[in-house]
Amino acid sequence: MRLGSVALKYATRSLTRHSRRTILSMVGTGIGCAMALVALSWMDGAIRMQVRAIAESGAGHIRMVHRNWPETQEDTLRLQGLEEVLATVAETPHLEHYSVRAHAKGLLAFGTRTAPAAITGVLPKHEMAANRILRRGALEGRYLEEDEEGAVVIGRTLARRLDVMLDDALYATLSGKDDIHSAMLRIVGILDTGSQELDLAVCHITLADMQEITGIPGAGEISLVLSEERHSAEAKAHLTETMPADNTVITWREVNPSLAANVDSDTAFMRLMALIVIVVVALGIMSAQLTAVLERRAEFAMLSALGMKTRQIVSMVMMEAVVIGLGGAVVALGVGGSVSYYLATRGMDLSRWLDDDLGFADVLFDPYLYGSFGVWLIGYALAIAMATTIFATLYPAWKAAQVMPADALRTTG
Amino acid sequence: MTATTDEVLVKAQNVTKVYHTDEVATHALRGITTEVTAGEFLAIVGPSGSGKTTLLNLIGALDAVTDGHLEVMGHNVARMSKRQRADMRLNQLGFVFQAYNLFPVLTAQENVEFVLELQGVTDNRTERAREALDQLGLLDFADRRPTQMSGGQQQRVAVARAIASRPRLVLADEPSANLDGENARILLDMMHELNEQAGITFVFSTHDPRVIAYARRVITLVDGKIDTDVVKEREAMAEQT
Ligand SMILES: Nc1ncnc2c1ncn2[C@@H]1O[C@H](COP(=O)(O)OP(=O)(O)OP(=O)(O)O)[C@@H](O)[C@H]1O
Ligand SMILES: [Mg+2]
Repeated sequence: MRLGSVALKYATRSLTRHSRRTILSMVGTGIGCAMALVALSWMDGAIRMQVRAIAESGAGHIRMVHRNWPETQEDTLRLQGLEEVLATVAETPHLEHYSVRAHAKGLLAFGTRTAPAAITGVLPKHEMAANRILRRGALEGRYLEEDEEGAVVIGRTLARRLDVMLDDALYATLSGKDDIHSAMLRIVGILDTGSQELDLAVCHITLADMQEITGIPGAGEISLVLSEERHSAEAKAHLTETMPADNTVITWREVNPSLAANVDSDTAFMRLMALIVIVVVALGIMSAQLTAVLERRAEFAMLSALGMKTRQIVSMVMMEAVVIGLGGAVVALGVGGSVSYYLATRGMDLSRWLDDDLGFADVLFDPYLYGSFGVWLIGYALAIAMATTIFATLYPAWKAAQVMPADALRTTG
Repeated sequence: MTATTDEVLVKAQNVTKVYHTDEVATHALRGITTEVTAGEFLAIVGPSGSGKTTLLNLIGALDAVTDGHLEVMGHNVARMSKRQRADMRLNQLGFVFQAYNLFPVLTAQENVEFVLELQGVTDNRTERAREALDQLGLLDFADRRPTQMSGGQQQRVAVARAIASRPRLVLADEPSANLDGENARILLDMMHELNEQAGITFVFSTHDPRVIAYARRVITLVDGKIDTDVVKEREAMAEQT
């Protein structure tokens, strides 16, 4: 600092002289920044939950596919070296669950009724663990069992369209590479997810059946659900190291670009909200600081008359701002931290605001929201409060240094 | 210290100052030509609105001349940058204003020290501040804040601050305006002594006849012009205008 000890005394005593105003400024800054903090905590929590919902609804955080799949989205493409891949996938760092699948488009028929369906061949245990749509839905009957043959689980909507019940046998036609295959499938479970859109997408058979019916061995994808999205790069690196070169690892963003765009625009919106809050706070601080400076016009005139330089006057006013900013950060942390903590531990039930259908774009979203809470809040509170006060005080400080001594001393003389 | 020499500290040639407010032009100074030499004890007198404060502000580089030529400490003030003017005020000039002189949050000693700190004085700063307070008989008040002192004491602190920085010229705008006769006398006695003993040049404005009596030279302003410029007999040979 370019300020000497007397100047520092001057600055600190100026703050304590108007202690009520100083405290009010700190509280105002603090509450404003707390709002921004809560918005950020809310946003961070909301985004995490969305991504988790997407990952658990089938996409996975990351997914291994044949290297041509991202371009062609061809169902018949198969992973290379499935055996060796399966041997290492369980060791992926931060892995929670993984699901091995093969897809085929087909037509289901019962009596005179038919319905098109996207049929998925799965490893039942893994699928149940990795897929929240199965876990959260109401299942009539049961889910598939390992090594079971000729069984199918379908969604409620599909069941209605076909007018079928448990134990009915469906005639399924599946498209293979260049041909068409058919099989009889017995309905062992009907899943009601609460969402028509999601229900329509459920038509599961075992992976072995899928291989058998279509005549194509192997699996089309392995989707991995990680503990946190941020570990994607690490997990991807592990997989890439061991897998054959014909496979590739993509993220849920590449699997589902339109959802990614949605999440990004949500993020941008929340950031904008936080920014607006911060700008409003900054304007408030600016006006308070400007008033304080104008009130002390004569003092700044005297400082300038005595020979204090512009930079020194600016530093002195900024010094006061730094103290207010620090106080504001403490308040922001207290208020914003408690609200964020509440949001993070108790969450908020959103079911009142939403209709019952939580399915959107093949993803089962949550009817509640948890904010994020962590040490990062301290850094954010400090950064936001300091940056806001310092930025908002630049103009008033400059204004203080521009006071014309002759004018100001005359009017107060 | 500085002896009375013929060194010219202030040189004004046909200085005018016009204030513009809402399309109305006020001619505060209408052609001032004069010089102030080192060692003077000069009073500027004149009726209210005659331009005393305006003249002191111009000499103090607190305001800009409208027309004419003004040299302070050998520098053309109009040509100086804001920073240079601040430097001149800090290192070569001392100020005593009519009111609002001291920073209320600082003690008497800190008020004096502040200027030394701005000057970059690091050695013996406290001693120098206390010495200046001592010269004005204020040592007992060193730790008081302005609100805990009388008006006369406050003005003396202002003078102590003005001289502590060892300026060549002290400008005082109605330093005794808010003081009663006794306090005005004490203040002027001390200023006079600093002038005589330490050779500090004083230029001060006043209305007060008792204060005028202390001056060795009296410039009377009327309507922004020098009406009379009188050097008193005793000093007449030493100081010429
Ligand atoms: N900033 C300003 N804007 C407009 N007019 C001004 C300004 N400052 C001074 N004046 C005018 O200039 C003239 C001279 O004013 P100045 O303050 O120098 O007088 P003064 O001799 O110091 O008076 P006083 O004895 O009352 O202090 C006055 O008419 C005043 O109204
Ligand atoms: Mg005046």
